[in-house]
Amino acid sequence: MSTYALVIDHESCWGCKACEVACKQENNPAEGVKFIYVSEDGPKMVHGKLDFVFHVNVCRHCDDPPCADVCPSDAISKRDDGIVVMDYEKCTGCQSCVDACPYDAIAFDGSKEIAQKCNLCRHRVDKGLIPACADNVCLAHCIYFGNPDEIEKLIAKKKAAQLCE
Amino acid sequence: MSGEGDNMTEFTYSNVDREMEVYGYDSVVKSYCRMCHGGCGVLVYVKDGKVAKIAGDPDCPINHGTLCSKGLASTQLAYHPDRLTYPVKRVGPKGSGSWKRISWDEALDTVAERIMKYKEQAGAESIVMGYGTGRENEAVIYRFANLLGTPNVLTAGHFCYGPRIATGIITCGSNPVVDYENHPKCLMVWGNNLVISNPDEYKGEPFSVSLEAGAKLIVVDPRLTRIAARADIWLQLRPGTDSALALGMLNVIVNEGLYDKEFVEEHVYGWEAFVARVNEYPPENVERITWIPRDKIREAARLFATTKPAAIQWGVAIEQQINCADNNRALLALMGITGNIDARGGQVLFKPPKIRTVSEFGAHRMLPKEQAAKRLGGDRFRLAGNFGIINPKCVWDAILEGKPYPIKMLFFISSNPVMTRANAREVYRALQAVAFMVVSDFFLTPTAELADMVLPAATWLEMDYIGDFWKRHGYILPRRKVIQVGECRSDHEMLNDLAHRVGQGEHWWDSFEGGLDYILEPMGITWREFKEMGPIRGEVTYQKYQKKGFSTPTGKFELYSTLLEKWGYDPLPQYREIPESPVSTAELHKEYPYLLITGMRSPGFFHTENRQVRWLRELHTDPVVEIHPEAAKREGISDGDWVIIESPRGKVRQRAKLFAGIDPRVVAAQHAWWFPEKKDPDHGWEESNVNILTDNAYDGCDPAMGATNVRVLLCKIYPEADKGERS
Repeated sequence: MSTYALVIDHESCWGCKACEVACKQENNPAEGVKFIYVSEDGPKMVHGKLDFVFHVNVCRHCDDPPCADVCPSDAISKRDDGIVVMDYEKCTGCQSCVDACPYDAIAFDGSKEIAQKCNLCRHRVDKGLIPACADNVCLAHCIYFGNPDEIEKLIAKKKAAQLCE
Repeated sequence: MSGEGDNMTEFTYSNVDREMEVYGYDSVVKSYCRMCHGGCGVLVYVKDGKVAKIAGDPDCPINHGTLCSKGLASTQLAYHPDRLTYPVKRVGPKGSGSWKRISWDEALDTVAERIMKYKEQAGAESIVMGYGTGRENEAVIYRFANLLGTPNVLTAGHFCYGPRIATGIITCGSNPVVDYENHPKCLMVWGNNLVISNPDEYKGEPFSVSLEAGAKLIVVDPRLTRIAARADIWLQLRPGTDSALALGMLNVIVNEGLYDKEFVEEHVYGWEAFVARVNEYPPENVERITWIPRDKIREAARLFATTKPAAIQWGVAIEQQINCADNNRALLALMGITGNIDARGGQVLFKPPKIRTVSEFGAHRMLPKEQAAKRLGGDRFRLAGNFGIINPKCVWDAILEGKPYPIKMLFFISSNPVMTRANAREVYRALQAVAFMVVSDFFLTPTAELADMVLPAATWLEMDYIGDFWKRHGYILPRRKVIQVGECRSDHEMLNDLAHRVGQGEHWWDSFEGGLDYILEPMGITWREFKEMGPIRGEVTYQKYQKKGFSTPTGKFELYSTLLEKWGYDPLPQYREIPESPVSTAELHKEYPYLLITGMRSPGFFHTENRQVRWLRELHTDPVVEIHPEAAKREGISDGDWVIIESPRGKVRQRAKLFAGIDPRVVAAQHAWWFPEKKDPDHGWEESNVNILTDNAYDGCDPAMGATNVRVLLCKIYPEADKGERS
């Protein structure tokens, strides 16, 4: 069984937020609810140079997801292919998962009174389609979907080629 | 990309067949977005006659399948519940928000009647046509105005893109465009944030790819953008001193012999005078003007001049200043003397396919000479005047003072000048005072609320057009109509119809499809044929000047402009101190101790647009002003506070963001904020509108181009809570 993940090359991210809107178009969560969002880190001095980067924040689909552990209604589970899925039907809105997530990647939909998060567009993945945010939306081509080990190799190769120039 | 293991799922990007199958879409239409100036290829998926999803088109050479937040949210714009979907006329007092639905026939007959009346009573010049930023309706609006006989087309052209075209043409025959497809080895991004803004020609994707391919990067910007953070050299200049910096770099390149000697010997005009001019800008002096250390200026000049091919990505920032034309001309000189003009992977004078040009379609030759001579401000701003461009204050003054002649009618198409032109209160007064005003737009904007009649404009999803017709990368793109929303009509169809009602019929067509055929005719194809095709590009060739010279009066690359000289201007680029600064207005600076810059862009918005589009507004709830943490501390401002920004012209409120990527002497506000969610007819136009603060006095405008300086001024800033009421 292949395992799936989203991997973000933050060094390349421009903060354009196209991924946020691509996710909205696909999943259309309520106003203010975001499964993926871009935030700024910095500016701060790094090696004597003022630097800042953008962070694309989204569910990490953890190997041992703390959100699943704390959910009293077993609404969160990890699939064999690595996707951590939240079942909105089972969610009672207790928000334990929101507090347990170390990455701030779980949102709360106040209108429906349930938690929501990135399910890695499983409805697309299961039909052979790439998740919306990763489907050639990003103008920096910095969002990768697939097997995490292979992606890391791909990114390392890309960066090495850049340095050779 | 392929998955491993037992299920062996094949994943491919932009998998159209599978999207169709999985979601049961009825059709997919290839078209071209125009949420900014246009150009990105899109796939529009349709279900039950409605747009269901928008994605980038991987076959498009501009975006290669990627798409920005604006393009992705186009559906929310097209189907927005607040959208105007039929013509309305005013039934209460001006600005009262009382509107009545009318038919297109009543609307266009009324407009035609007014046009004929004012033309007869006060001359065609008393009717001002206008558009805002480029929405691919330029050629059709100019055609209508020129055939009507009015020389007055009020656009953003005096301080956006128009200067690139005008200075490019007088210097080297066209606007040189970065050749991203052949990956420059050095990119100098000058006051541009093209990865989140709305650049012309190429967008952020090809830039990203060139950078990932290893291009060296120099960034000139008063703010630490992410592009600046990634740069090999970041030049954090004092806002508004761009031409001084460019002249300083030219000084280094000339005196260190780093220029392309063969190009200079064979192909430039005015070298000796140019050298004398750049010698007035040694790096030591330029350091004092620009705040950039001399060694850094030298380092950047050397990197740019010695890495081949190199290119400069420029944009609107340097044009909205008193040094507009000279900023552009100094940058053109950098492109020229380093031999990067019309070089593969450098900066290319691309040729369009063999179609009718924007200029020919615009019917500029049909405007009688005696009418052209009446162009408002034509005597004062002679570079602009020669390119059919006018300065906005000339129009407001003519309305408010009747000089040099009265203006009776304004016809704004996709323009919101109350938000986007300097000295907004004067703009507002002029719009209130004019006898008759028509606006064509998507929504009842603060400008439209002052109109007598508002026409519902089509979005890009609702029109057939030849995309990028007016751009200079050499491509034309078939934009295909996908849907009809209410009674909305494209600006092209609307003007084609109106033209018949004002006696211009012989120069127009039964429907605007005839106009598209007319544009394409020299290529021997019709619109119906082009609609079945993909992008078409003119032949790409380099160093055309070797055989043909440059298309300028001397046939050379004019470092020394013979046309500027003829029109009575300094033929060489110079630096003028900006109108309000610690240097030019030291006394004022004591009271207003910060330099305010106003051009910071936000992904999702396009000038005044999209603040009612939910997916985009969610990206930015409030207007934001950036201030350095040290300055904020001094002023008692905390992150997220509502603050007052005050200039000698007025006050507005925005929310402070503490940002160490800006000089403590500078603050950066956002422009064009209004609040569509406020349902009264003002829509909060005064609250956060940075143009309440800007000035539009003639002597602060670029003397040749008439560009209004909206980018750099003096201000004070303080917390809203503890320092009294807003005016």
